[in-house]
Amino acid sequence: MDKPTPQTGKQYWRSLEVLAETPQVRQLIEQEFAGYDPAAIQSMSRRGFMKVMGASMALAGLTLSGCRRWPEQRLAPYSAAPSNRIPGVPEQYATVMDVGGVAMGLLVSSHDGRPVKVEGNPSHPFARTFGGRLGAADAMAQASVLELYDPDRSRQVVQRDGQQSQYSDWEKFSAAAAAAFATLGKAQGQGLAILSEASSSPSVADMKRRLLAAMPQAQWYEYEPMSSDNRRQGTRQAAGRELRDILHLTDADVVVLLDADILASHPAHLRYAADWAARRRQADQGNMNRVYIAESRFSVTGMAADRRLALRPARVMALLEALAQRLGAVGGEAVSLSDEERKFVDASVADLHAAGKRAVVAVGEHLSPRAHALAYAINSALHSGAVRYVAEPGVDRPSHVAAITELTRQMAQRQVKTLLILGGNPAYDGPADLEFSKALGTVPLSIHLSHYDNETSALCRWHLPRAHYLECWGDGRAWDLTPSVAQPLIQPLFGGKSVIELLALLMGEALDGEQIVRRTWQSILAKDDFEKAWRRVLHDGVLREAAGAYVQPQAVQQSPTRSAASSLAGFDLRFAADYRTYDGRWANNGWLQELPDPLTKLTWDNAALLAPADAQSLGVSQGDLLRISVGGRSIDIAACLLPGQPAGVITLPLGYGRWASGSVGTKVGVNTYPLRTGQDMHYVGGATVKRTGRVYPLALTQDHHLLNDVGKQARDARIGSKGQSGLIIRETTLDQYKADPKFAHRDVHGGVHLQLFEPPRKFNDPHAWGMAIDMSSCIGCSGCVVACQAENNVPVVGKDQVLAGREMHWLRVDRYFKGEPADPAVVNQVMLCQHCETAPCEQVCPVAATVHDTEGLNTMVYNRCIGTRYCSNNCPYKVRRFNYFDFHAKDPRGGAKPWPGLPDTQQRQAIDQIKQMVFNPEVTVRMRGVMEKCTYCVQRIRAATSERRIAGQKLMDGDVVTACQQACPTQAIVFGDLNDPNSAVSQLHRNQRAYGVLEELNTQPRTKYLARITNPDPGSAPAPKPGKDHGGH
Amino acid sequence: MSNPEQRSNFVFPRWTNYLRPGVVAAVVGGMLYLSVLFGVGASPKTTAVGYAPIQPVPYSHALHVGQLGIDCRYCHSTVDKAAFAAIPPTQVCMNCHQGIKPDSPRLLAVKESWATGKPVPWVKVHDLPDYAYFNHAAHVNKGIGCVSCHGRVDRMEVVRQEQPLSMSWCLDCHRKPEEHLRPLDQITNMSWRPPGNDQKRIGLELKKQYGIRDASYMTACSTCHR
Repeated sequence: MDKPTPQTGKQYWRSLEVLAETPQVRQLIEQEFAGYDPAAIQSMSRRGFMKVMGASMALAGLTLSGCRRWPEQRLAPYSAAPSNRIPGVPEQYATVMDVGGVAMGLLVSSHDGRPVKVEGNPSHPFARTFGGRLGAADAMAQASVLELYDPDRSRQVVQRDGQQSQYSDWEKFSAAAAAAFATLGKAQGQGLAILSEASSSPSVADMKRRLLAAMPQAQWYEYEPMSSDNRRQGTRQAAGRELRDILHLTDADVVVLLDADILASHPAHLRYAADWAARRRQADQGNMNRVYIAESRFSVTGMAADRRLALRPARVMALLEALAQRLGAVGGEAVSLSDEERKFVDASVADLHAAGKRAVVAVGEHLSPRAHALAYAINSALHSGAVRYVAEPGVDRPSHVAAITELTRQMAQRQVKTLLILGGNPAYDGPADLEFSKALGTVPLSIHLSHYDNETSALCRWHLPRAHYLECWGDGRAWDLTPSVAQPLIQPLFGGKSVIELLALLMGEALDGEQIVRRTWQSILAKDDFEKAWRRVLHDGVLREAAGAYVQPQAVQQSPTRSAASSLAGFDLRFAADYRTYDGRWANNGWLQELPDPLTKLTWDNAALLAPADAQSLGVSQGDLLRISVGGRSIDIAACLLPGQPAGVITLPLGYGRWASGSVGTKVGVNTYPLRTGQDMHYVGGATVKRTGRVYPLALTQDHHLLNDVGKQARDARIGSKGQSGLIIRETTLDQYKADPKFAHRDVHGGVHLQLFEPPRKFNDPHAWGMAIDMSSCIGCSGCVVACQAENNVPVVGKDQVLAGREMHWLRVDRYFKGEPADPAVVNQVMLCQHCETAPCEQVCPVAATVHDTEGLNTMVYNRCIGTRYCSNNCPYKVRRFNYFDFHAKDPRGGAKPWPGLPDTQQRQAIDQIKQMVFNPEVTVRMRGVMEKCTYCVQRIRAATSERRIAGQKLMDGDVVTACQQACPTQAIVFGDLNDPNSAVSQLHRNQRAYGVLEELNTQPRTKYLARITNPDPGSAPAPKPGKDHGGH
Repeated sequence: MSNPEQRSNFVFPRWTNYLRPGVVAAVVGGMLYLSVLFGVGASPKTTAVGYAPIQPVPYSHALHVGQLGIDCRYCHSTVDKAAFAAIPPTQVCMNCHQGIKPDSPRLLAVKESWATGKPVPWVKVHDLPDYAYFNHAAHVNKGIGCVSCHGRVDRMEVVRQEQPLSMSWCLDCHRKPEEHLRPLDQITNMSWRPPGNDQKRIGLELKKQYGIRDASYMTACSTCHR
């Protein structure tokens, strides 16, 4: 190409700023270590330097004077050892975590009685990955172990009286409660109301039944801010009974989704992602599925879809009506569609018809009952074999909104004398128009059982610490109602009690959690040999044969389409659970706060997600503080421009702006619940947006770790005149892949002209470790990022440090946009140390702190590292992380002492004892001043090799599983021995789609990527010609 | 060049007169510094050789192992199965001491632990830094005897650290494991001698038999550090 490429001609771009090459991005590219200011050092006088150094030496002297053999350590063996327990060898227990009334199957590793790693249970139907060897867990489930050791978790019973609050204990509470409940019992529970979270637990249901039997006048309400009630209502309309849809995506050739984020937000998303990926991996066999999505936000599923249409919420419904009409599921007047919408409907209808039984339509859980009814009717009309139904449990309850509305009304009318709130946080996440908090203050006796002394607790007379799910007995049912038992891995650290234990206490039953769960399971398990069956359930973590039975009632004729005049005035607000804090319950979890959002790459905040076009018309740029008003309520929230966001819609993630969350989550982000009313919990139209004129710093990581100019020049020099685009992303469509199977290698003008390295050793003795990452299956859910953080003791740094580009994640997910900002395609690329055979980092380390071992691992020797950061500078992948501070000891919310204001007080801060408990003992905890990076989970390699060698066996493929691979629901990451030609990773490396990122730099990476194949319908926008389909950074 | 002003640049300034004594002082001082540094750094006091803390129970290995001949693995039962050689639970002591000398005052701490269920707080003697990941099972299953690292425990009234446990000491053996290898049935034998005193021959033989890797693998950083 002769003329310089126009700036907007970039094929792949990470952010609008990169696309426009703003000065800020230039600065980020030029200065790898943001915050590094050479002038600050040069301007420091000699005297100043001496002062600083003198102070440092004095400090060093202090520590030296105390020099002795390291502190005496004690060994505490058991008094009587339990059988089969080997000290230092981790054990795994199956359990479940209930979120929003659906239980996730987990396998938790415990080191000497300390749960440290949460993984998915491979035996669980909704956690197993395809093929069933590994179990996946999402970011939230994996991060839940950090909550267990959260020092902010409530430790004591608190009694409140107006503004007065005092610490109390369980004895005092029991005494007070016993008196109150004895009176209530006499009155048959008149005046007692119970507000519970959604729960799938059979034991909770059983306790509820017993309580209501004893106190028939008591009222039991259930509220959940993220509710599936619309589906319940919709399926009742469509089929006469309340149903749960279970997609069988392996059987689906065509999937049409309406605002359904089935791969990341749906309660069954792990299974759906696994099944979806099973069909994506068949790209080489030419047997891929095709996914259409029309959505009113940009979701993870939207990134993975083959054809995506961003629409306003009302238009999504119109599109669904049109789809239903075209498929003969419903009659009525024709819906008028725009050109784009019509094309989308044409294409999807043609594909749905062609696929017939192997097609399925799914709608988002939050969509209106009518949408669910139409989806049922459409799938019935298609005779879809890719969706099955089970009867929804708990049909006798009102909807969540109706329940909390009724409860608030009763409280306001002083009908509720005693209120028991089991978990949840309605004072924070209840519908804004109800004024639940005000009503709560009027209840004479209110009791809140909660993990944290939170917003709701502050308004109750009693706050009771709740046991974490890893601390107590319980049970739960999966999406298809498969029951599981939850077993404790540790005694309650802070003396908490579980929901069932509290109910037993209040009802005067002298039973502990285990006895209650066992009693419930008497009716679930075989009676004749209960003990054996019970032990099996505990071991497997799941009772597969007790899953809900499939039902398929006849579809009821739906009322014809009525054209609804939808107003397009103002903005539509779309409330969505955050991908990290969910509804706010994980707000105090540092791992999740610092996890970059899969779409925006935003950390430590939420923001109003705005389409670039809207931003332009409003004159808003990234980070401008907006005042969003609707129905007389308003909030101030920063704008975050999200390419692909539908115009006219502002997505407001929930779950931020907590005011009593704990030291990590309090006052992080903006509370968006005040705009959310009981009328519509998911959308509200007619919002007005005004600029406030203030700017808010957003800690976005999307522009961090960019390839710098030197790297780009070197790359350009090698790939010659094609130099405008790089070779980081390679992708094409299925049709073009069939036509040109070797497309991934067409443009590689590699060739090594100058060999800087001695011909390297092979690094294959006795194994040659390698990784393969299939970009066709990766959905960018970021579960691997948390898995890596949990496994490798990666610290949380805090917002100010993320702003300075110092986040410590060893593994990041690079999200690249492609095409026009209004409607971009997205490619996700997991980026971690590539373990280059000719590693550029090793060549520049002055102290040989990073060297290769014989198996190809690029090892990092923390004790040798002196912190020059040359290695990071020389790494083209930008995957090395430097410990600027002792981040584990540092409070992530506390400000950093600005460099170079040495000495600081960090070194003398010990890491909180409770926080230390989450550390994986198999991995060194790094101090400040050293570089660190992905080790390919060397501890797992060593554990597996030692185990096999001691047993005198050969290492098998699949023995070593890295943490990221383990967590990946789509199994996009594969690890293993390249010496073994039959290993999964060898086969993938031989795949014609396999390529090394920046391999033209002669880094010879051990990690290979499989070029992404998408399967758009032929009618969608013409795919770029092969050869030009390569990405820049 | 002949310009006198330019030439004056090449006249040494006055301060260079102090250069020579300065250099001498630096060299002497530096040597002193280095010798003290290495002298102190390598002294047994630093490496803790001979460290023999008082234990809560006056347990004598000399009596139990040396005289009574109890195998190491009777108490340290996980040594050939796991990375950590388990300190025996109180139960193991009580297996014998319920009958033998049950009233000895020396057993007070053990009996208390057995009665209360609380652990006996043994003091750790052999303490590696936390970034070094030593695996007992990997060593004893590949022909490294207990005595190689722990010394003649069968003669110790009080357990003491016999070897420096420094990285260079580890590496000496990782480079030449044949100097320490022994048959698997002699692992816990404290007084084993190679037949014909020819350690080299049997060592090389066993190295091959056990499939012990070459020095480059054995000395790679990731072998011991993570």
